[in-house]
Amino acid sequence: MSRKRKILSVKNLDFSYNQNKVLDNISFSVEEGSFISILGPNGSGKSTLVNLISKVLRGYEGKIEVGGRDIKELNPKDIAKIVAVVPQYTNPGFSFTVAEIVMMGRHPYISRFGMEGKEDFDVVSGAMEKTKILPFANRKFTELSGGEKQRVIMAQALAQDSSILLLDEPTSHLDINFQIEFMNLFLSLNKKENKTIIGIFHDVNLAIQNSKKIMLLKEGRIFNFGSGEDIINRESIKSVFGSDVFVGRNPITKKLYVSPVFNPGDDWGISRQTANKYLRVHIIGGGGAASPVMNLLHSSGYTVSCGVINTLDTDLDTAQMLGIPYVTEAPFSPISFVSQNKNIEFIKSSDVIILPAVEFGSGNFSNLVSVKEAISSGKKVIVIDEKNIRERDHTGGKAEKLYRRIIEDGAIVVKSINQVLRRL
Amino acid sequence: MGTGRKTIKYIIVLLIILIVLVIVAASIGAAKVSLKDTSLIIASFIPGVNNFINIEDLNPQDIVIISQIRLPRIFLSIFVGIALASAGVIFQGLFRNPMADPFVIGVSAGAAFGATIGLVFITGVGLLGISTTTIFALLGALVTTFLVYSISSARGKVSVTTLLLSGIALSAMLSSMTSFIMIFRAHDLAKIIFWIMGGLTAASWYKFNIIAPMVVVLIMISGFYMRDLNIISLGDERAAQLGVQTDRVKKILLIIASLIAALAVSISGIIGFVGLITPHILRLIVGPDHKILYPTSAVAGGIVLLMSDTLARTILMPREIPVGIITSIVGVPFFLYLLVKSKKQVF
Repeated sequence: MSRKRKILSVKNLDFSYNQNKVLDNISFSVEEGSFISILGPNGSGKSTLVNLISKVLRGYEGKIEVGGRDIKELNPKDIAKIVAVVPQYTNPGFSFTVAEIVMMGRHPYISRFGMEGKEDFDVVSGAMEKTKILPFANRKFTELSGGEKQRVIMAQALAQDSSILLLDEPTSHLDINFQIEFMNLFLSLNKKENKTIIGIFHDVNLAIQNSKKIMLLKEGRIFNFGSGEDIINRESIKSVFGSDVFVGRNPITKKLYVSPVFNPGDDWGISRQTANKYLRVHIIGGGGAASPVMNLLHSSGYTVSCGVINTLDTDLDTAQMLGIPYVTEAPFSPISFVSQNKNIEFIKSSDVIILPAVEFGSGNFSNLVSVKEAISSGKKVIVIDEKNIRERDHTGGKAEKLYRRIIEDGAIVVKSINQVLRRL
Repeated sequence: MGTGRKTIKYIIVLLIILIVLVIVAASIGAAKVSLKDTSLIIASFIPGVNNFINIEDLNPQDIVIISQIRLPRIFLSIFVGIALASAGVIFQGLFRNPMADPFVIGVSAGAAFGATIGLVFITGVGLLGISTTTIFALLGALVTTFLVYSISSARGKVSVTTLLLSGIALSAMLSSMTSFIMIFRAHDLAKIIFWIMGGLTAASWYKFNIIAPMVVVLIMISGFYMRDLNIISLGDERAAQLGVQTDRVKKILLIIASLIAALAVSISGIIGFVGLITPHILRLIVGPDHKILYPTSAVAGGIVLLMSDTLARTILMPREIPVGIITSIVGVPFFLYLLVKSKKQVF
C-alpha cells in the first residue's frame, strides 16, 4: 500500500478565548481520503477546532497545515479551495434562489473583477445534482424546508471543489431520514471522490458506525484518537461525556453502538455511595421482566447476577450489556437440570434474591422452585408483585400455588421496583 | 443565467426612463418650454451630437433657463438620488436588515448638526465656492461616522449591533444639540429647519461637478465588492468559510457607503426614504443579487429623486416644497402598496 498524503496536520495547537483555554496542545494528522469523527461534549472545543482549521478564527498558537501548506501563508480564498465547511445552519439575509446560494460556493475561484464562467456553472449544477436539488434550483432558499435547505448548503460546500469537507454538526437539527441520507452522501463522496471527511456529529452512533477513526475531545484536549473498536467503550464515554452508557453491537452491522443507561436510583435519592457494594443480589429473569431491576441495582452499585434466562430473551441482552453474570438456556427450551443447578449455585452465593413479575410456564417453572428452595434455606427474598400472579400463571395454577407459598414463607412483597432499593 | 447581461438589460430600460424624465422635467416649470425645444437644448450639450443641432433660432431665455437653472438641478438631484440609493443598498446588505438606510449610523444627525453650526455661527462665504453650511455638514457627517465606527470596532472587527446602537445613540445626542442651538437662535430657526427638510434649491453645475465624479468613483470601487456583499448576507462566519475577507470587505464598504451618504446629505440636506425604499422596490423587481441590485438601484434612485424634486418645485408653483416631504408623502404609500401586494417576504 502506498503511503497516503497527509492532507491536514495540526501541531501543538493552543487557543484561548478571553483567557479561557479552549484548545490545549492539540496535535494530530489526517491522511487524504480518511473519514474522521470528532466527538466530545459541548464546550470541549470541537467547533473551535473546525473554525481554526478553516481560518475563520485566528490568534492561535501552534501550526495548522492543509494540503501541506501552513494556513498562515494562505489567504481565505486559497483555504476555501482546500477546506469546505458544512455548517449546522445558514440563514441568508435576503431571499436568494437556490442556484444563487450554491454559486456562492464558487467565490474562491472567481476573481474580484471577473464573472462566473462555464466551469463555475458546470460545477454548481454537478453539486446540485449530487445533493438532488436541481429540481428546485430556481426556488427561493427561504421557502424551503429544513432538510432541503441543508442540502443546498451541502451543495454550496461541494461547489468549493475542496479536498477536505469539514462537517460542523450538519444534520443535528434534521430528522433521522435526512441524517441517514446525508451520511450516505458523505460516505459516497468519501469513497468515490476520495474526499477527506472530518465531521462533528452530535449523534455518537452515526459517527462511530461510519467513520474510520474517531477523535474524543475532552476539555480542549485529545482524550483519544483511533478506530472506534479501539477507543469507544463504556469507560471512555463515561470519562469524556460523564454519562453511563452501554456499548453494544448493532445486530445487523455488527458495529459498535452506544446507548444511554439512565440511573433510576438517582431519581429516588439513593446514591451509589450509600449502596452496599458487597451485597450480592440474584435476580430471576425472563421475558424482560428483570431488565429494569438489573439496570437499577447495577447502576446503584450492587453486585448483581441473573438467571435462568433463555437465549434471545431481552433480559439476556441486558445482562450482557451490563456485564452481569447470568445463567442461560437454549431458546424456547425448558430449563435443564444443569442450568437449574447453576442458578441454585448463584442463589446460594447471593445475599438477596429478587423475583420480578415474570410470566411462568412449564418451561421456567423450575425458576420458581429454585426461589422456594432459597426462602426455605433462609435467604432474603424480595417479590416484585407488579402484576397479579393469576394473570401470569400459564401452568394451570401450579405456579400460583408455589408463588403464594413463597410469600407465606416470609418473602418481602413490594408493589413496584421503585421500592426494591429501600428493602435491600 | 448570466448576471452581466441581465444587469445591462435592466440598466438600459432604467436609463431610457431616466432620459425621458430628464426631458420632461426640464420642460416644466414657471417658464413653459416645449418638449421638442427642451430635447434640442439638452442634445446640444452632448459632444458629437451638437454638431448636427442648431439651437440658434430658439428663445435665448429658454436656453438659459434650461441649461443654467433646470439642468444643473436635475442632474444634481439624479446624483443625490444615486448616492442615497447606493448607500442604502450597501447598508441594508451589511446590516442584513431591511430597516437600514443611508442615515442608519448617524450621518444625517451629524450633517444636520454640522450644517446648523455652519448656518448659525459661521457667516463666511465658504471655501472654493461651496457654502460653509455644506462644508460643515460634510464635516459633521464624516466626524460622526468616524466616531460611530471607532466605538464599534475592536481588533480589526466591526460589530454590526454596536454600530447600529452607537449610531442611534450618537444621532439622538446630536439631534438634541441641534435643537438646543435652535432654541437660542430663534431667528435662524427657519433656515435650519429648511435645511434639515432637504432640498436642491441651491443647485449649480459647480456643485454637480464636485459631487458627481466622487459619487461615480466611489460606486465603481464598491461595485467590485458586490459578490462579497451577497455572501456576507449569509453571516460573517459563513462568508469567511467561503473565502470572503469579511472584516476587510465590511470596512471598505462601510467607509464608502458613509462617504457617499455624507456627500449626498451635505449637498441636499436630509432627504428621507429614497435610500430606504429604492433598494426595496428594486429587490422586488430584480431580486436580491447585489451585482444586479446595486447598479439598478443607483439609477432608480436617480429616477426617484428626479421625479420627487420635479414634483417639489412644480406642484405648488411658484412655491417650492422641500423635496424630503415629497419623498415621504409619495414614497411611503407606494412602498406600503408594494409590501401588501407582494404579500411575501421582501427579505
